[in-house]
Amino acid sequence: MAVEQPARPNLADKIYDKMFHNYVWKSIFRTGYPNTPRNQMLVVATNVFLHLHPTRIHRTHVKITHTYCLGGLSFFMFLGLTITGILLMFYYVPSVDRAYLDMQNIQTNVQFGQLMRNLHRWMAHAMVILVFLHMMRVFYTGAYKPPREFNWVVGVVLLVLTFLLSFTGYLLPWDQLAFWAITVGTNIAGSAPVLGPKSRFWLLGGLQVGPDALIRFYTLHVIGLPLLAAIFMAIHFWRIRRDGGLARPL
Amino acid sequence: MATAVVARPVARPQARARDEEVLVWPDLVFVEFISALLFTITLFVLALLVNAPLLDEANADVTPNPSKAPWYLLNLQELLLHMNAAMAGVIIPTIWLGVLAAFPYFDRETQGQGKWFGTPQAVKITAWGSLVGFAGTWLLILWDSGKLAFFLNDWFGWSGGDRLRFLENVRAIQSQVPWPTWSTSIPYLPFNLKLLSSDADAGQGPTQFQHLNFPGWIVEQQIPIMFMVGLPCVMIFLMYKAGWVQTRRDALLALFSGFIGAYGVLTLVGTAFRGAGQELVFPWELTVSEGIPGQE
Repeated sequence: MAVEQPARPNLADKIYDKMFHNYVWKSIFRTGYPNTPRNQMLVVATNVFLHLHPTRIHRTHVKITHTYCLGGLSFFMFLGLTITGILLMFYYVPSVDRAYLDMQNIQTNVQFGQLMRNLHRWMAHAMVILVFLHMMRVFYTGAYKPPREFNWVVGVVLLVLTFLLSFTGYLLPWDQLAFWAITVGTNIAGSAPVLGPKSRFWLLGGLQVGPDALIRFYTLHVIGLPLLAAIFMAIHFWRIRRDGGLARPL
Repeated sequence: MATAVVARPVARPQARARDEEVLVWPDLVFVEFISALLFTITLFVLALLVNAPLLDEANADVTPNPSKAPWYLLNLQELLLHMNAAMAGVIIPTIWLGVLAAFPYFDRETQGQGKWFGTPQAVKITAWGSLVGFAGTWLLILWDSGKLAFFLNDWFGWSGGDRLRFLENVRAIQSQVPWPTWSTSIPYLPFNLKLLSSDADAGQGPTQFQHLNFPGWIVEQQIPIMFMVGLPCVMIFLMYKAGWVQTRRDALLALFSGFIGAYGVLTLVGTAFRGAGQELVFPWELTVSEGIPGQE
């Protein structure tokens, strides 16, 4: 009786083996391909990005209607806005003399410049909407209830930061739409009792929207507020895990 | 003897229901991946089809009519048309954000979390709450723009005559009621806080008395506060009397849904129904004057 011999590895198997089972690859990815439950848990636990998640999750939470992915998509918009924003920063100088010309340059001379700008704008609108819908989802599923009280508060802060991020970005094209929207917006802030005129002056660096306002809004938009938002997002995500993951019926 | 041994439920530590759990890879990661992919594709298609607007270069001397804030602030700009600027633009949003943040400290009940709506009457409360917010805000806007009086007059031939003119809109209460002159300038503070100044205070030093314009105070602050605090309270009270609102969660559901309705209408009206001079118009009548001198 002939003993059954294992099939000889074909070329594809050899290439696969050379690529993924070598010293260098394994120094980067500790686990094998996640096709066994053990590797699937290890890959989530050992990858810095995936480890925001637990390794296991209640089956009701992967139902799309439970969250509609709204929080995750808000974060995804933030990432996309960071990437498109960095690309736009290569070509944009926040000075009154150049800002508008740079916008025209991005739209007409830069490869994919118009596309990047469009993406950045529509993603920004999408983020405002998604963050708001996320808040509604959390409220209507009662997910702010104990022990998640503080994370709801962090969420309210993130909602405000999202509005501010969008608002500060609105001025940068330096066109009529930008200029007058920010004039109206900062006038609203300036109407506050006692602190209003002072805070408006602080925001604009002057009495009206001008060069100082542009550089302030730019700095807040590209570094100040994103940094703040990143810190609060870190707290937000950390607290989701610490507070026991997504809310579910007790 | 045998009856002395009574079966008692044994307290067991509750095991984590492993069979109720799924692995994050692949079950969750793939859902996230697909939703991210869908959004990426949708946004790319949108970005390819619709260009972001770029108007003429900023010019402080040319004011477009109407000038509008970014759309997510148009709710505040809309509010601004109906009351004191500081109240609409800063005080109310700040207070509301505080109230919003305080929700979980008001409703501390852990029951009902992680489930859509979660209380027996929740769907009904949500539907009616948002409807009241929606319809109530529309009615108030129509009233304050004078359209309500106009419709009543135009469509039903109802005319309040001059005696009821002060009900045409909020500000008519200030302008159409024969307020005694002293009431428009009541000294009330020996220093100028710039909180509630009537025009008479303009340019006066800090040691002057501040003067309260009483009709202005009623119209700009008291009536709006009465509506914004009163209407939700009345709604929640009626829902409580009807037996719908039974817990704090129910009260929050009514309040939040009312807010969503009102917020939606304010944003919508500010965006699509406000034309030149912030006049209330239909969206298809809305035109924006670029403000080029000589071409308005």
